[in-house]
Amino acid sequence: MTASTRLDETERVNESPNFPLRVVDGLTLPPEYRKALRPGEDWKDGNGFPRQLPRYFYEIPSWDTAMKIELATHFLLWEFIQVDVREAPPLRTFPRYVPCAITLLAVCLERFREAVGTLVHISANGGYRSPSHRFSKNATPHAWGTAANIYRIGDTYLDNRNAIERFSLIARETLPGIWTRPYGAPTGYAEDHLHLDLGYVLSVPRDVKS
Amino acid sequence: MTKTESKATSANPASPRERAVRHQIEKIEKESGAKAIAVALHDSETGFEIHYHADRWFHAASTIKVPILLGVFAAIDRGELLPHSRVHVRNRFLSVVEDIPFRVESGRDPNAAVHNAIGKMMRVDELAYHMITTSSNLATNLLLGVIGPASVNETLRELHVDDGIELKRGVEDELAFEKGINNMVTANGLLRILVMLADGKAFSPALSRRMMDILHGQEFNQGIPARLPKGARVAHKTGEISTVAHDAGVVYLPKRKPYSLVILTEWDPSATARSRTIAAISQTIYELLTKGPELKDE
Repeated sequence: MTASTRLDETERVNESPNFPLRVVDGLTLPPEYRKALRPGEDWKDGNGFPRQLPRYFYEIPSWDTAMKIELATHFLLWEFIQVDVREAPPLRTFPRYVPCAITLLAVCLERFREAVGTLVHISANGGYRSPSHRFSKNATPHAWGTAANIYRIGDTYLDNRNAIERFSLIARETLPGIWTRPYGAPTGYAEDHLHLDLGYVLSVPRDVKS
Repeated sequence: MTKTESKATSANPASPRERAVRHQIEKIEKESGAKAIAVALHDSETGFEIHYHADRWFHAASTIKVPILLGVFAAIDRGELLPHSRVHVRNRFLSVVEDIPFRVESGRDPNAAVHNAIGKMMRVDELAYHMITTSSNLATNLLLGVIGPASVNETLRELHVDDGIELKRGVEDELAFEKGINNMVTANGLLRILVMLADGKAFSPALSRRMMDILHGQEFNQGIPARLPKGARVAHKTGEISTVAHDAGVVYLPKRKPYSLVILTEWDPSATARSRTIAAISQTIYELLTKGPELKDE
């Protein structure tokens, strides 16, 4: 099946004149994408609680498009979709799909950038990654498009306690309700980046009827 | 035999040339003060071989990166990786001892290119190049993190390198080192891989050539290549820690088929003649293979 055929068969639920990406219902995607994205399925978090995965995605037709689309003044779409060879193969080529909540994350990061006053760098595998990514063991907000791993702010690498805790505090003071991983080595902690997330937020565009 | 015992004898009675080579190596070994030396040679031009303590086990140091390179290309051959597949550059690894995290010190990698890409991605072929040519430990652990040690060991079995290579962990895993969990090699084990590469028999002639191209990019040339004539080209990998110094490579000379040579050495940490000794053995091998008609086997 070619990409264009696949797009024709995919249910279009919304096209905004101000936002060039169309929204697709993940349940209408071809099987290999549904298998990798698991739209609407439950997935248990580290505490065993079921979390419902996103069902609605923005469709990104090309890397060129991702390089051009601003999700916020200082954040382009490509920064949120850098995944390496550990991502499921269908999700490493275009068209790519990213949960609609990614726009909320971008707004939060823009606010965070204003607070720190310099560039905020999201790491590879540190924006959206699917539930099939080899790093995804339990339900992680990365699979909801609501988490970011920041490895560098301005010229500061976040690879030590001081830097991570300093910027973590700024994030929590700036963004009500944001969660940051504490500094440390065990599972659930972070020692070489700042992880922040909005939790398991589902974004359902207004035009969606089901 | 234990991991450090070995025999200096070969199965067949020694030819005049073999006796001459052994005599020279023994002389160099005695003069160098090395604790142990092993040499394995296969000359594709004549079929001549030398196996001098070649089944003795040594700490692999960075020569283990040759089997890892083989494992990476096995994944490429299987279609699991592409040379341009991207890998997240992250300096955080788990020790084989209780999964305790550790990092690769940037000061121990002579090339900063991989460390400068932390947080970003690099291509598999770029990482492979840095792993071999400047012996980047960060690149090595990143590649091993993608393919896994079990996959490398399986590849070695499939290629009938059943003995002589023991890959147990990534590099700079200090906790494992303290517990005596180390990557080990014999000269014969590394020689089997090099001969396979030189003969174009590692997966395919094209993939063998790509691996040889990477080995040709080696930037540390104080060992095997140091005393060879200018026309010699050497595709090789060195390895050095406080107690060992190795070099393993394929030597290409004009108008003849190449020869594959592995020289493994073990030392007191204070010893200083390491590279010089490897270069001297390499020169001896070169001279005995290319000169001295009186030493022809027949």
